[in-house]
Amino acid sequence: MMKLLIIGGVAAGTKAAARARREYPDAEVTIVTQDDYVAYAGCGLPYFVGGEITEARELIVRTPDEFKHENRIDVLTRHQATSIDAAAHTVTVRDLNSSTDTIFPYDKLIIATGALPLIPNIPGANLKRISTVRGLNDALKIRAMLDSGKIKNAVVVGGGFIGLEMAENLSRRGVKVTVVELKDAILPGFDPEIAALVAKQLREHDVAVYTGEALTEIVGNTAGEAVEAVTTARRLPADMVIFAAGIRPNTAVAVAAGITADRGMIIVDEYLHTNLPDIFAVGDCASVRNRQTGADTFSPLGSTANKTGRLVVANLFEDTEKFSGVLGTTIVRLFDYHAGRTGLSTQEAKDAGYDVETVLVPTPDRAHYFPGNRIIITKLIADRATHKLLGAQVAGTGVVDKPIDTLSVGIAMGMTIEQLSGMDLAYTPPFASALNSSIVAANVMLNKLAGKVRGISPVDLKLDDKTLQLLDVRTEPEYIISAIPGAINIPIEELHPRLGELDAARPTVVVCKVGRRAYAAALELTRSGFTDVKILDGGMTAWPYETE
Amino acid sequence: MAEYTLNCRGMQCPGPIMQLFTQMKTALPGDVVTIVVTDLGFRTDIEAWCRKTKNTLVSLEEKDGVITAVVRKGE
Repeated sequence: MMKLLIIGGVAAGTKAAARARREYPDAEVTIVTQDDYVAYAGCGLPYFVGGEITEARELIVRTPDEFKHENRIDVLTRHQATSIDAAAHTVTVRDLNSSTDTIFPYDKLIIATGALPLIPNIPGANLKRISTVRGLNDALKIRAMLDSGKIKNAVVVGGGFIGLEMAENLSRRGVKVTVVELKDAILPGFDPEIAALVAKQLREHDVAVYTGEALTEIVGNTAGEAVEAVTTARRLPADMVIFAAGIRPNTAVAVAAGITADRGMIIVDEYLHTNLPDIFAVGDCASVRNRQTGADTFSPLGSTANKTGRLVVANLFEDTEKFSGVLGTTIVRLFDYHAGRTGLSTQEAKDAGYDVETVLVPTPDRAHYFPGNRIIITKLIADRATHKLLGAQVAGTGVVDKPIDTLSVGIAMGMTIEQLSGMDLAYTPPFASALNSSIVAANVMLNKLAGKVRGISPVDLKLDDKTLQLLDVRTEPEYIISAIPGAINIPIEELHPRLGELDAARPTVVVCKVGRRAYAAALELTRSGFTDVKILDGGMTAWPYETE
Repeated sequence: MAEYTLNCRGMQCPGPIMQLFTQMKTALPGDVVTIVVTDLGFRTDIEAWCRKTKNTLVSLEEKDGVITAVVRKGE
């Protein structure tokens, strides 16, 4: 009878336990965890804070009692694994209530210890009304603070998914929220113009976003409660501070036992073995192979944790199921704005040595005449040499999960832009345009790959460059509504007779609403002898900066 | 005072705003134009346009993906 011991009981650990019970009806399956709760939906915590999920129990998939009585799985909460003896096949476990140690023998050991939040080492970090967002206890604590009615201003440290989702949900609770991000952009893994569009949306929802700033201190009152957060650039009122500045794999016990780790992660092979016999690692504590680059990466996501937790059980005795790896596919909802990504970012593609071309294409998410259609912006990243799709990002108030999933499958299968352009995708006006958003983006990419047009990303457009001629070819009322500072307005219908107002020798960037009119205008300018013409990728629709 | 109605359902930007712009050129101060649009981007466009011109946004409603805006021509 196999003794299967699992350390960690959130997503990966409980998934492994449940499948082990099905596959090995006679096995003795035990989960030990230092947490008070098991099998909770960690990704749902911000929505419980915001109230969209009413009660904590809705986030608990299964309780220790249910595991015991329905699955014959022993779950020991508040039990911390303190050491692993790989040679003896035992784990020493401390009962955190009684502080007594017990030695658990195992035949197979699965490490699913997850990750720990990073706490900035700054003055005031241990004050009251400061929290991470990792466990259910954190969310309960934050909700209690909000229910006290004393929280008017909050500072969220970190502009990743958890930080931004917390910003949204605190804001929904009536708190004035400021996000402070150390890097130059929020949303790591996204291209800067997409991150800037999301930041613009957050600001429109009254969430302040400051990038390129570090938190240096938290100031408390006489009761030891946080009241002010100090950054390298400003002082912010802060009745509450949320640390969402990243996580690191929880691997101390594994490493002490001689398990190989690199850059903090337990390194596992595609069958999820560690370097030691009969010891496996899954979920956020373990590395995952990037499907495109082959590199071992840290990609802590609930989707991956559930997949690897389930898959590892097939490999306990022999290698039968291989983990395919990840493309870094993720998605986030912030207020009514959505953003998803898959594959390589532009920078990652350049770093991997590809000759990169990109497009940024706004389209409606369904037929443009169908009530309820919303704009989405599709960014494609492709290899000029092979025309292979390398990465994709989609953002907007419309539906983005469908195109991101389609594009992710395309990348996984090594699809070229020509193949994407020819995809047979579901169409009827309430769901899609006759030319699907991803196909339109592919067609724009084909025009660029064929050298018919050159584009410039909004992040690369230097408005202070005095030699630059910025030509806006939209109609007069559109130009009145909003325009990029310094742009000259010549509606495309008037372009030909008014060419004399422009200087053919100066570098010229043409802008319209989405890019269609700019493309036509760029062709006309080039025919008329303009030597350096580009269109602004994504037009005004994807312009993430100030307008006038 | 004259009242005009522009049915711009199914039109994409810049169709609706151009229709309104053209109508406003012939309208007299105080005239009221009601415009019905299915392009949801029109919502922010009409707010900004009225703010930057001398026209007044009398009302702006959105129901079932259809926007109805009422604009009064300024002096």
